[in-house]
Amino acid sequence: MSSHAVHSITAAKLPRRRKAGGLRGFGGAMPATFLVILFFVVPVLALLLRSVLEPAPGLQNYETLLGSTTYLKVFANTFIVSTLVTICALVIGFPVAWALVIMPSTLTRIVFAILLLSMWTNLLARTYAWMVLLQRTGIINKTLMQLGVIDQPLALVNNLTGVTIGMTYIMLPFVILPLYGVIRTIDRAVLRAAALCGATRWQALTRVLLPLAAPGMAAGGLMVFVMSLGYFVTPALLGGTSNMMLAELIAQLVQSLVDWGLGSAAAFLLLVVTLALYAVQLKIFGTRQMGGR
Amino acid sequence: MTTPFLEIRGIRKEYGPVVAVHDVNLEVDRGELITFLGPSGSGKSTTLYILAGFEEPTRGDILLDGETLLATPSHRRNIGMVFQRYTLFPHLSVGENIAFPLRVRRWSKADIDARVRRMLELVRLNGYEDRKPAMMSGGQQQRVALARALAYDPPILLMDEPLSALDKKLREEIQHEIRRIHHETEVTILYVTHDQDEALRLSDRIAVFSQGCIDQVGTGPQLYAEPATRFVAEFIGDSDFLSCDLVGSNGTTADIRLGDDLVVSGVPLHGRPGERARGALLLRPERMDLSRQAGPDKTGLPVQISDITFLGSNIHVAAATGWGETVSVRLPFGHQSISGLSRGDTVWLRFDPGAAHVFT
Repeated sequence: MSSHAVHSITAAKLPRRRKAGGLRGFGGAMPATFLVILFFVVPVLALLLRSVLEPAPGLQNYETLLGSTTYLKVFANTFIVSTLVTICALVIGFPVAWALVIMPSTLTRIVFAILLLSMWTNLLARTYAWMVLLQRTGIINKTLMQLGVIDQPLALVNNLTGVTIGMTYIMLPFVILPLYGVIRTIDRAVLRAAALCGATRWQALTRVLLPLAAPGMAAGGLMVFVMSLGYFVTPALLGGTSNMMLAELIAQLVQSLVDWGLGSAAAFLLLVVTLALYAVQLKIFGTRQMGGR
Repeated sequence: MTTPFLEIRGIRKEYGPVVAVHDVNLEVDRGELITFLGPSGSGKSTTLYILAGFEEPTRGDILLDGETLLATPSHRRNIGMVFQRYTLFPHLSVGENIAFPLRVRRWSKADIDARVRRMLELVRLNGYEDRKPAMMSGGQQQRVALARALAYDPPILLMDEPLSALDKKLREEIQHEIRRIHHETEVTILYVTHDQDEALRLSDRIAVFSQGCIDQVGTGPQLYAEPATRFVAEFIGDSDFLSCDLVGSNGTTADIRLGDDLVVSGVPLHGRPGERARGALLLRPERMDLSRQAGPDKTGLPVQISDITFLGSNIHVAAATGWGETVSVRLPFGHQSISGLSRGDTVWLRFDPGAAHVFT
């Protein structure tokens, strides 16, 4: 029945197709639209309904989430870690993306292969590898102690430090790839012009290169931030039990406590924040072409 | 002896086994507009880039007022440059682009504003201050680039084929603007181009580059009338070359034989005369004449007309020699010697030996 309704809408719009530019080709997009509705819109609505209907109709689930310090701490943890991961990934990712643009193309291909290989390696394996590296008797602590930098091993794992380190590593490709795409389109003659205008390397970086790379920074940064907000595996393995993140909370609410209503409310809040951030990014960078020129 | 304003002294640039610039020497006077003219790959842009500090020479030195420039990095050389591609900062407005070199020099806001206004006036773009470069035409963008490069009063302005992306009409308009701005600012301009018209139109002097060397430096008329090499002769103005035999020489002029029996004496000679050497005789299209008779002194070369083209004030006559080389003669409209001639007619080609050149 719903498919019949879509059909009649399409038929009604057809004669005015030229005028209604946004609907041009809608008929061809119909199966895809149907799939999006079935697999995306319906589950989200179900989620929303559950959060306001279970265990009883009302907003009490949201009140519980936003009213308790325990849950607010989980939100705070999530935002702090996501922010730190985004900043670290951008700070590390920008020079890497720049290096990828200026290095000889054979080397670029090799570095890309390494990047992709790390992305394709199992997430659990990579996270466990960080556990080994970061633990008290791990190679990082041992090296630092042998060098005399520290006396006591640093607590690098089972806390938010460990989560931040591990997630920064996992998120790096998601910053590097869009940044590479944007930086590659920046004409390097523009940087030469900046140099002849009297700009030092630092001034050329901050006043020319970074502003021109900003769309890529925003795209990569937003992607990393949003992915970090809902990340589960790495925080669960590298984080401690005392400082939980949102995805862990949702898992616990649904799996251990079987509180679907509260879990749905938490998941829905996460979705709202994500969409709000996306809207902000669209507002700032709009439909402007991602690129230097 | 006075120190030249700018001296390029024995600059050489090698990229591995490839020599891009071969020991270039050049002295430039203050306030001069000198073009580096040559085909692509002749080393003219590399020389400019060495001046800008983007490339380091393998050997040689560059002296500004007697002091070496090579030890100074690009951003401290205080040189202006306009590039071939549009290099305005796309995220900044026109005004901010012009202000950029002043901001990094930490000028005061009032000084910057005043200077930006003056520069916009200079390039005749008042009112465009708040436009983004993407909203301007190529010609306008290059004018802004010129304003940005001149904003901080650089002693030298480098221009690397700045008009090559523009169409012909716009190019001529901006060439005119560059002349005017050069007169107004008295900045020394080094201008790279591969376009001989542009070089002739703009320059006080032209340095002709070929295969990494400067073949000749001189004013346009000098290069046209007295080309030092065959390359210069070919590159500046239209030219016809006829192969000939050298039959005698006193070192500065030569006696040559064209075809089987025409001997012309007293042709200025460039290059070394070998025994029974072959040479190339340079003839300018407008300095040749055609005649129906051989003439009393028999200095005409019989040629067969292959084409006659009417071009308004000029008429081009293409003709072939007996041994198959072609010359193109340019005659003013109404010139009596060709009235009634048509394709296939045989006429006598005559020229003044003293105004021709022979290259070995």
